[in-house]
Formats: sequence, structure tokens, C-alpha cells
Amino acid sequence: MTMQAMIDEWYPVGLISQLDAGGRRTALMGEPILVASDIDGKAKVTGGNGRILPVRLRYGHVWSSLGDPKNELFPIPEADQPGRRFVDVGVVRVRCSPLRAVENFLDIAHFPFVHTDILGAEPHTEVQNYKVEIREDVDEVWATQVKFYQPQAAKSASGGITTEYMYRVPAPTCSVLYKTCPPRPSEWDVITLFVQPLAEDICDVWPWMALFDDETSLTDLIHFQQTIFLQDRSILENQIPRLLPLDPGMEIPTRADLTSIAYRRWLKRHNYTYGAQLVAQ
Amino acid sequence: MKLYDYILSPSGYKVRLMAALIGVKLELRPVDFHPGLEHRSPELLSLNPAGSIPILEDGDLILTESSAILVYLAAKAAPKWLAGEKPEEAARVQQWLSFSGRLTASLGAARLHEMLLRPGDIAALQAQGMAALRELEAGLVEQRLRGMRFLAADRPTVADIACFPYVALAPDGGVLLDAYPTIRLWSRALRSLDGFIEMPGIHRLHELKPEPQIEPGEA
Amino acid sequence: MLADTTGSWTPVALSADLPAGTVNPARIATESIALWRSDSGRVAASADRCPHRGMRLSHGFVRGEAISCIYHGWSYAQAGNCLRIPAHPGLVPPETIRVVTHAVEEADGVIWVAFGTPASIPPKLDGFVPLRSLTILAMTAQIEAAAGAVANSEGLIESGTIRLLLSTQHEGETLVHVLVKDDADVATRITASRTAENLRRTAEDLQGKGSVQ
Repeated sequence: MTMQAMIDEWYPVGLISQLDAGGRRTALMGEPILVASDIDGKAKVTGGNGRILPVRLRYGHVWSSLGDPKNELFPIPEADQPGRRFVDVGVVRVRCSPLRAVENFLDIAHFPFVHTDILGAEPHTEVQNYKVEIREDVDEVWATQVKFYQPQAAKSASGGITTEYMYRVPAPTCSVLYKTCPPRPSEWDVITLFVQPLAEDICDVWPWMALFDDETSLTDLIHFQQTIFLQDRSILENQIPRLLPLDPGMEIPTRADLTSIAYRRWLKRHNYTYGAQLVAQ
Repeated sequence: MKLYDYILSPSGYKVRLMAALIGVKLELRPVDFHPGLEHRSPELLSLNPAGSIPILEDGDLILTESSAILVYLAAKAAPKWLAGEKPEEAARVQQWLSFSGRLTASLGAARLHEMLLRPGDIAALQAQGMAALRELEAGLVEQRLRGMRFLAADRPTVADIACFPYVALAPDGGVLLDAYPTIRLWSRALRSLDGFIEMPGIHRLHELKPEPQIEPGEA
Repeated sequence: MLADTTGSWTPVALSADLPAGTVNPARIATESIALWRSDSGRVAASADRCPHRGMRLSHGFVRGEAISCIYHGWSYAQAGNCLRIPAHPGLVPPETIRVVTHAVEEADGVIWVAFGTPASIPPKLDGFVPLRSLTILAMTAQIEAAAGAVANSEGLIESGTIRLLLSTQHEGETLVHVLVKDDADVATRITASRTAENLRRTAEDLQGKGSVQ
């Protein structure tokens, strides 16, 4: 187990809206932590030996770290854009590597088989070429010009459309998805996957959204995203091995998997291997 | 008819599935069970003091408990889903409707614990869930030996719909279904019925549709 | 029988539990396999893992003479070679993409799988037919004690009116196929099924980790 490189990262550990004095007992990378509000109502995260951990409140969530973060929590400019609705989807626990959860989020080829008649449907299974890069200036993985035919792309979509996506990986266990916004074609809907690594092979997943949608009820928006993620969960809990294999040979990617290939390469380059399996192990 | 429902609730799904199979239209009223705990809000508690969903409203009638709602829908729209005149068939429907409550208390609670972090003694819940699955498997084996594919008869009844969701979703709570071949056949028979609908965690049987002939560039 | 499974047949499932066009999870020695029957009725056994992203193939689906992974729909022939990658409809999958497959025999209503190439054929059931399979959380020794009989070299236990065909799954877990005389009537078969349940309770009590009731 190598925690070094990932220990200094920020991770989601709870919803701001659910902070209370009693606190949420949870874990971060194997260490028991308590996420609570103190006497002044401020968020406080306490590590296993009583030490006070750093805290940030952003994007609906409480963020913390076991180490000493060198960088500020990554920016999501859309989180400050007027007119968007911000949706806390709530936690879902999954018995898989936090890295597998992110990789699945970056994948579109599974839509027709796992999110049938919502995000994809046979015979529209082809993945067109798209662009992937590691943006050195911000040190993030980006996939752009990702297009896929979707029967019901969003709660606000009324029929099948070809949806365009952009994916960003700004932190080893977080991804931000930009997606065609049916009611406002000039903007992108933002859907994120924030993953809290409880241990190398189990995680709490906190999806969050920043959408332009004045029509759909908040509950419907939450349920749409929960539906999608719970369809993924039964896949994630049945991948072998549970850890993400970082060395080639164990799994076979194709052109459709360019985002996943770049993600794995970026993880390896930074030694982000908590939740990964290496041949050397 | 209005159903207070949660998309991830197997009990809500029982009602949606029954309605879909017999062609009854439901108006769905989504309840923010997670993370909002709306089922414990004053509005929902005034409908059902037990704080559980689903709740069915039909005019002045308010029904709680999914088994009762299944019986109501079937009696109104498709009586052949109820027990026939044979005493043993009627008794078997009742037996498995009662049994379905134990699936909720064991497999359902294990699922809520493992997935949505609700409290519970997970080892005990999983063990109780496994014991219930063994009973169901044994019951289905005996029905199969009698030449019947479903729990109470050779046709599906409300009893099958009451038991199916928590069984099919057992793996969500860490209880594997690998050891129950007859449950697997029964589950498949239900999933192959005309009008069957899924819920998250129960994927489409893609084999029921022929393989599409696809050409590159057509997508 | 079960110490060395290389080159010997393991009874993994009953024919009646694997209809045409379906896939089931099964085990041989310590390995998970995907056991599936094509639409035309041919049984195949492969490693329970799609080489693309590691998804269990036993969660997949069978169409025609191929099995497909539920995750991305990659499909494989009985011989294990990849036939189709739906994300790339124009691509002929290279020969290098394949799943490991195992030898399968189906006889007297039982499906047998072997690693390697066994020299022998699976044992005959001699006038007995399969009734049902059940998993017992106990080892062979406890099952033998519960049955009051010892398994022969083919893993078969004779216990009263039933026969038990054993297949060790994991440590402490045994798959048991219950056999009855081929002329047994329905009442006798139901009794045999209950006898097997009783035997499971006894064996698991002996093992010291019976199910919670």
C-alpha cells in the first residue's frame, strides 16, 4: 500500500447540509475520522488520534485530508455561476477501489448495456473518436469532443439526442463531467463524482451537480442521478480484481478507452496508487 | 392512483412492477428518501405514521404496506394475479406474502446498510437473509417438482411480485445469489414476462432482444 | 478426489438449472467460472472475467452461440475468442483477445468441467438422476458424518435412498448435487429434497457455523 502521493490530496467526507454536532463517523484511507460541527457551528474533522485535520467547505461537501495539501482544492468555476441549481445527490457506498469508481465514470461505451434506454441503447453502441490530453499547465486529464447517442440524456431531455461530453480529472478520486444542457444549448451541465476512499477496496461516492434546469423538481434530479449510479454500482462490485490494475497486460483497452488509458497513465506518473494494483506487488 | 415512491426502494418497485405487468397507470410522487429523509416529513407521516413508503392514494383510500397495495391493484385490474379457488393455492399466496416481510427485514436492511450507510448488525442481517433465501429456494424446488414455476401456482401471483425485488437485489447488501439455481430460474421467468420493468441494480435481459446488426458510422 | 482437480472432472451444475440461452456462475477448485449454454444447447465454461475491464462474465447474457459481457457487450465464442466489440462495430477483434475456456462434459443431467484434458470420462450415475443442488457450509468430513457414509473415489456418498455428489467450492463450502432413483415419484422427490435440507443442517451444526434462524 502506497499512500504517500495521495495522502496530501483533498477528499470529500460529508455533506455540508448534514453537518451536525453529533458528527459523522467515517474513515479516510483506513483512518477513522469524525466530521462534525463545533460549538461555533464550524466544520471540524478529527483524525484517529484526535488530531485536527484541514477542512474546506465547497461544492456542497466537506473536504479534508490526512496529509498536508500542497494545492488548494481544484476549481469548478461553474459552481459560482448564477442561475445554476446545485444538487447534493447523497452518499452511496461501493465495495470497489475508489479509482475503479472514477474510471467507470469516465467511460461511455457501457451506456447501452448498463444504462439501457437512458444513456444509451443498442444498436447505437459505436464510440466515435474523441480527444484526450493531460493538460500540463493544470495537471489534469481532459477528454473532449466525446459524443454519444442517448435515448434520455437528462431528466430535462424529452427524446433521443446525440449528447456531447467533456471529462476532467482534477484529482485522483474526483471527476467533473460537462454535458450538453438540453434547456440551454450554449451552456454545459456539470455533473461530478467525488469519491471518498475509505480504504483501498471500498469507497463512499458523493455525486454532485450544477445544472441549468428550472423545470425538474429537486427530488427528480436526485433520483435520476441515483438511478444512473446504482446501475453502475452492480458493475463496480463485480470487477476482478477490486483494485485498479495500472500495469498493461491485466486488462485490454481499445480506442474507446482513451480516457481510461490517460487516467491510468496520469495516476502512475504521480504515484497515485492507493486503490491500484501493480504487477510489482 | 398516486404512488409515493422512491426509485431505489424495492418495495416501491414491487408496486411499479405489478402496475406495469397488469397495465395499470400510476401517478408517481417521488419521495426524497435519501439524502432528504422526506419519508419522515410531517406531510408523509400524516399519510403513514409508520414513516415507510410506498403509500398508495386512490381517491379517499390511502394504503400502506406493499403487499396490501399489490393485492389492491390485482383485485382491481387483474384478479388472476390473486390466489384461485384452491385452498392450498390461497394459503401459499398468504404464506409467501408474509414471508416477503422477512426478506425486507433481512436482505432489505442489509442493502440499506451496505449501500446507504443505514445502521444495523450487518453480519446478523446477512445471515438472516441467507436463511430466507434457502427457504425460498427449497420452496421453489418443491413447486418445480410439482410442475409449477412460481411460488403459489404455475402462473405468477402477487406473492411472486412481493418476494422478487428484495431477492434480486440481495447482492446490493452483500448477500450472493450464486448458490440458488432455482431462485435464478424463477427470477428469470419473472424478468421475461411481458411488461416487466427493471429498477437500478436489476439490469435488462439483453438476450430477450436479438443482436442488432450494426454498421460502423451508423451510430 | 478433490485435492487434485487438474485433469479430473468436477460436477459444477445440473443440466436442468442451465436452460438454453443462459449463463450461471460456477466454481471449479478455487476458481470462478462462467458456465453458459448457447441457444442451440451447447454448454461452455470460461474464466469468469472479461479481459477488457475485469467484469464477471457470469453477469452477462447469451445470444445465439456467443456470451456477452454485461459491461460493454464484448462477446465471446465457445472457444473463447472475442467475436465483437460493440464500441467498434467495424473492428474484427484480434485473436489475442480471448477468455480462458475449460473442457465441459454433460452426462446423465450433470454438467462436468475440468482444467486440462482428463484422460477419463465423468463417472456414470447408474440408475440415479439429479434432483437439486445445494451449497453446504461444511467440509466433506462433516457431510460424510451427517450422511453416515463415506464418499467413494468419485466423490459420491450413498445415504439411504439418496446419493450425494460432492464438489468442494472454497474452504468450508461444498456444493452438493442430490440424486434420486430415476423412477422416484413426486412425493418421494419432495421427501428427498427435505432429507437433503436436514442433512445440511446437521453437517453445518457439526461444522460449527450453521445459518442463523
